[in-house]
Amino acid sequence: MEETPKQHYSDIEKNDIFNHEFLPHISSMYNFGYRLTLDRDDAKDLVQDTYLKAYRFIESFQKGTNAKAWLFRILKNSFINDYRKKTKEPSKVDYQEVEAYYNSEDVDRQITPDLRVESLKDMIGDEISNALNSLDVDFRTVIILCDLEGFKYEEMAKILDIPIGTVRSRLHRARNLLKEKLSEYAKSMGYKNTEL
Amino acid sequence: MSKLYNPFILADGNKPSCMQMLQLILDGEASTEQQEYFKSHMDKCMPCFKSYSLDMTIKELLKTRCCGDPVPVELVEQIKIQISQNMSS
Repeated sequence: MEETPKQHYSDIEKNDIFNHEFLPHISSMYNFGYRLTLDRDDAKDLVQDTYLKAYRFIESFQKGTNAKAWLFRILKNSFINDYRKKTKEPSKVDYQEVEAYYNSEDVDRQITPDLRVESLKDMIGDEISNALNSLDVDFRTVIILCDLEGFKYEEMAKILDIPIGTVRSRLHRARNLLKEKLSEYAKSMGYKNTEL
Repeated sequence: MSKLYNPFILADGNKPSCMQMLQLILDGEASTEQQEYFKSHMDKCMPCFKSYSLDMTIKELLKTRCCGDPVPVELVEQIKIQISQNMSS
């Protein structure tokens, strides 16, 4: 995210920013923490840690700007630097392969797994949620940021420290993987010959 | 606007694939001109039409069904206590 000149806030201003610009995002932050760690206690720790860091570095934040994106970026970095290292879970995604795939001419040919809108609507919440949780964390992350939280590509690029082109290609691949998962659920529910 | 004009064409002259166009539409990243173009493109492209409905449904389901549990009630209080402890130390 862009470097903003250091701000100077009084304690009253700090508390005001914290209460009115940071805390309103706590539900989204908790859900993000949970979707990353898949553990409620870890999510709580991650959110707590994020808010403490946000307060500590509050003078790097410019009042009235995009607090949500700033908080998401702190949480994502805490997850990578603290949580992932602790649990020794390295990224399993081969991005070069992903990029090559996205840029290849085959990209439109293979795509849609067997899946129909009707079968999707019959699914209860758990299947969608489980399908999302089953994706590799880096793919899961782009779907959370885009589809659950409604961030724009530019904001996602800043939160994740990746170019916009990579945001697009990762999102594309993530959605295909999610559709494959949902397609498996649809088949297990008895939907046959569901080719689109 | 010329019938052949495609507002999705990139600066390098490359034409994006249907899936790439669809993604920009789904995510609200397309300009008004691109949205108009895609609307008429869908009338002629069945795979795009079907993928649009499917992808839109998935996007909506994700939004409505993956919002997670409520935040634990004690969390905000714990954060505030920690901050005031850090400030006084």
